[in-house]
Amino acid sequence: MTGYIIRRLLQFIPVVIAATLIVYAMVFLMPGDPIRALAGDRPMSPQVQEALREQYNLNDPFLVQYAKYMWGVFTQADFGTTFQGRPVLDMIQQGLPITLTLAAVAFCFQAVIGIIAGILAAVFRDSFIDRLIQVSLVIVVALPTLAIAFLLQLTFGLNLGWFPIAGNREGMVSYILPGIVLAAVSTGIVARMLRSELIEALQSDYVRTATAKGMKRSRVVTRHALRNSLIPVVTFLGADLATMMGGAIVVESVFNLPGLGGQVFRSIQAQENTVVVGIVTLFVLFYVVINLLVDLLYAVLDPRIRYD
Amino acid sequence: MVQTTKRTALTATSLSAALVLAACGGDNGENGEADAGQAETGGEFSTYLCEPQSLTPGMSTEVCGAGVLEQLFTGLTEMDYEANEPVAGVAESWESEDNITWTFELGEDWTFHNGEELTAQTFVDTFNWTVDPDNAQANAEYYDFIAGYSDVVEGEADELEGVSAVDDYTLEIVLEEPFGQLPALLSLVGFSPLPEAAYDDMDAFESAPVGNGRYEMDGEWEHDVQIVVNRFEEWSGEQPGAADRIEFRIYNDVSTAYQDVQAGNLDLLYNAPPENIPMMEDDFGDNQGSFETGTLTFLGIPTYQDDYADVEIRQALSMAVDRQEIIDNIFDGALTAAGSFLPPVLPEGREDACEYCEFDPERAASLYEEAGGASELTVYFNSGAGHDAWVEAVSNQWRENLPIDDVSFQSLEFAQYLDLLEEGEIEGPYRLGWTLSYPSAQESLEPMYSSTASRNYTGFASDEFDERIAQANAADADDAVEAYQHAEDILLEELPVIPMWFERQDVVWSENIDNVHITPRGLPQVERVEVQN
Repeated sequence: MTGYIIRRLLQFIPVVIAATLIVYAMVFLMPGDPIRALAGDRPMSPQVQEALREQYNLNDPFLVQYAKYMWGVFTQADFGTTFQGRPVLDMIQQGLPITLTLAAVAFCFQAVIGIIAGILAAVFRDSFIDRLIQVSLVIVVALPTLAIAFLLQLTFGLNLGWFPIAGNREGMVSYILPGIVLAAVSTGIVARMLRSELIEALQSDYVRTATAKGMKRSRVVTRHALRNSLIPVVTFLGADLATMMGGAIVVESVFNLPGLGGQVFRSIQAQENTVVVGIVTLFVLFYVVINLLVDLLYAVLDPRIRYD
Repeated sequence: MVQTTKRTALTATSLSAALVLAACGGDNGENGEADAGQAETGGEFSTYLCEPQSLTPGMSTEVCGAGVLEQLFTGLTEMDYEANEPVAGVAESWESEDNITWTFELGEDWTFHNGEELTAQTFVDTFNWTVDPDNAQANAEYYDFIAGYSDVVEGEADELEGVSAVDDYTLEIVLEEPFGQLPALLSLVGFSPLPEAAYDDMDAFESAPVGNGRYEMDGEWEHDVQIVVNRFEEWSGEQPGAADRIEFRIYNDVSTAYQDVQAGNLDLLYNAPPENIPMMEDDFGDNQGSFETGTLTFLGIPTYQDDYADVEIRQALSMAVDRQEIIDNIFDGALTAAGSFLPPVLPEGREDACEYCEFDPERAASLYEEAGGASELTVYFNSGAGHDAWVEAVSNQWRENLPIDDVSFQSLEFAQYLDLLEEGEIEGPYRLGWTLSYPSAQESLEPMYSSTASRNYTGFASDEFDERIAQANAADADDAVEAYQHAEDILLEELPVIPMWFERQDVVWSENIDNVHITPRGLPQVERVEVQN
C-alpha cells in the first residue's frame, strides 16, 4: 500500500511539469499583447510598455520565460505577480479557502441528497416516491446552471430574504445557495446512477442469500447491496469534485464569491500568464490528488481490490 | 484659514446657515455650497465597484480604480461638474499670462491622511516619479505637454524641466505649447500627489493608498471583496464628503449587484445591466435615473484605404444609418443618438450639429453611387463585448440603403484588435469608443483626431484641424468654447469616424440614499451622496 502511494505521488511530478508547460504555452500563444490589453482604449507610451515587458520577461522567447517562471517557483516559492505587482500566492491564499468551502458545501449536497434520493428511489422502486424523485431530478439536470442560480437568488434571496444574494460577508450561510447550484446537476446524476446500480444489486444472488438468512431489510440494503453499488458513484463523485473547479467559475461569478474560479476567468481575459498558470496548476494537482484518494477508497469499499 | 472656518460654519449649522450664505450671493464658491444642500451629512452607504486594476494614481487608467482614487486623492484642481470648470483643489488659485507658464498658489493647510504635509515640492517629486520610465507608470503619457517630458522619457534628464517649486506653496509649471485647458487636465487622478510613505514601500501603498482626499482608507483593499473609506476630517477643501463612511463593494457581475440593490444589500449601482433597464422604473420608482455621459461610440473609417479616402463615401455611410432605430430595437432606447462629436454634456456640445448624422437613405444612396463606393465591405469589432448585434444591424442598414451587396465581419480579441488598428491594416469601418478622462472639449477631440495623436487610427490628417485645435488650446477660457466648436466643424464635414451614440449611465439606488449625480465620465459623485435619516 505505501509503495503504491509513493509510486503514485512520484507520478505527480511529470503531470505538474506537463500541465504547467501546456498551460503556459496556451496563454503564451493567445493572440494579442497583454500589455496593450492592460492599457485599454488609451495606449501607453512606448517607453512604459517597454519597461513593463522587461519587468515581466515578456521579451524573452517562450521557453526562457517558462524556465524563469519555474525557477522562481522551485527556488523561492515565487509564483510571480500580476501586471499590477500583486503576488499570485496572495491571490491563491485569498481565493482557495473560498473555492474549497464552496466545493465542500456542494459536495455535501450532492453526496448526501444524491445518495439518499438514490436509495429511496431504488428501495421503493416504481412507487410514487421513486417517480417524484426521478421527475424532479430530470428537471434539475435539464435546467441550465445559470437559470437555477437566478431562480434561487430571486426566490430565496430577493423575495423570501432567507439567504444572501451575493458575497460571503455573512459566513457559511452565503455558501448554501451557490453550493446547491454547483451541486444541482451532479446530484441528479448521482441519484440516478445509484438507483440503477442498487436495483441491479438488490436482484443479485448475494442479496437474496442475505435476505434468505433472515437479515433485516435495512441491513441487507446498507451493508451488502449499497456497498457494491457505491463504487461507480464514488468514482463519479471524486471526478466531479475535481471538475467542480470549472463550475465554480460561473457560480462564483453569479454569487460574487471572491474565489479562484472567478479569478482564473478574469486572468485569462487579461492574459495574466502567471496567475492562470498558478491557479490552473493548482486545479491539476487537486485533480490528481482526488483521483488518488478515489483509488484508495476502492480498496475500502471492495476488499477484493488490493494495492501492492 | 478662511476656508476652514467657512466649512465648519456650514456643517455645524446646516440649513439656516446655508440659506444666509445663499442670500449673500456674490461669491461663486459660496453659491455652489448652498446649492449642494449640505443639510444631510453623516451616515454610511455602500456602492458598487468593479475590481480596480490598480490603486496607484499613476498606474490607474480605468474607471474602477478612478472611482476610489478620486475620493482618496485631491489634485491641484478639481472639476465642478455642474459648471464644467476646474475649481480649487490643493491649489487655491492659478494664473498664466500666455498659457505656457502657469503659477499655482497652493493652500497651506493640506496634509496627507498620515499627517505628512503637502507643499509644492510634493507635486514636483510626484510628477518626476510618475514620468520616470523606470517606474513604468501608465499615466506618464498625460504629462507629455510639460516642458522637458521627452528628455526624461528618453533618459537624458532625471527631472522634468518644466515643473518647479518657487517656494513652499507656489508651484510653477511650464509647458511645451500654450494649453489653456491645463487646470482641467490636472484634475485627473494621474496627477494626484504622492506622500513620502509611498516611495518607501510602493506595494504597501498600493494595497492601502495614503492620499490627501476627502476620504481615507479604512483597512486594506480587500481584493474582489471591498474597499472601505472613512471621511477625512482634516480635509482642507471647500466641500467635504457628505457621508461619514463609504463601502465600495466589489462585484464581478452587475446583474448580481442589481439584485442586491433590490434586496437592500447595496445602496448604489451606477451601471445597471442592459437587460434590467426596461424594469428599472418598476423596480425602483423614483430611485433610478438615466444619466448622459460623454462616452462616444463610433465607427472609425480607415481613410488611408482607397475605398474610404473620398469624403462623400464617409458621409453616405453615416447618413445611411438610422441610429435611433438601432438604439430603440437593440438597446431599449438606453443611448443618445450622436449628432455631434463634442458630447452634449459639455458646454461646447451642440446637439444635431452633424448634418450627415441625420438618417437620409435616398441622399446617402445617390452620394454613395456618385462617389463610386465599393459594393463589398468588411466591418471590424472586438469580440465578447456585446457589439455583435448592433454592428450587424448597422451593416444590414447599409446593405439595404446603399448599393452594397455584401458585408463581412471581423471580430477579434481586444488586445489583438488594438494591434491591428495600430498597424494600420484595417480595411473597413471599425468599432471603437472614447471615454473622457476629464470633461473637456480638448480631451474629446485632440487625442482622437489630431494628425499626431497616438489614438488616431483613421489616418485622418488635417493641418487645418490641427491648427484650430492649437488655437483653441491657446485660447482663454472665454473664447475656448467657440474655438473648439470651430475645430469640430472640420470633423463634421470630413467624418474621419461616424459618430453613433453617446452612452447613458443607468443608475439605481436604495431608499437609504439621495442626491445621486453622475459625472460625464460615467462615475457617481459618491462624495455628494446623502444618507437618509
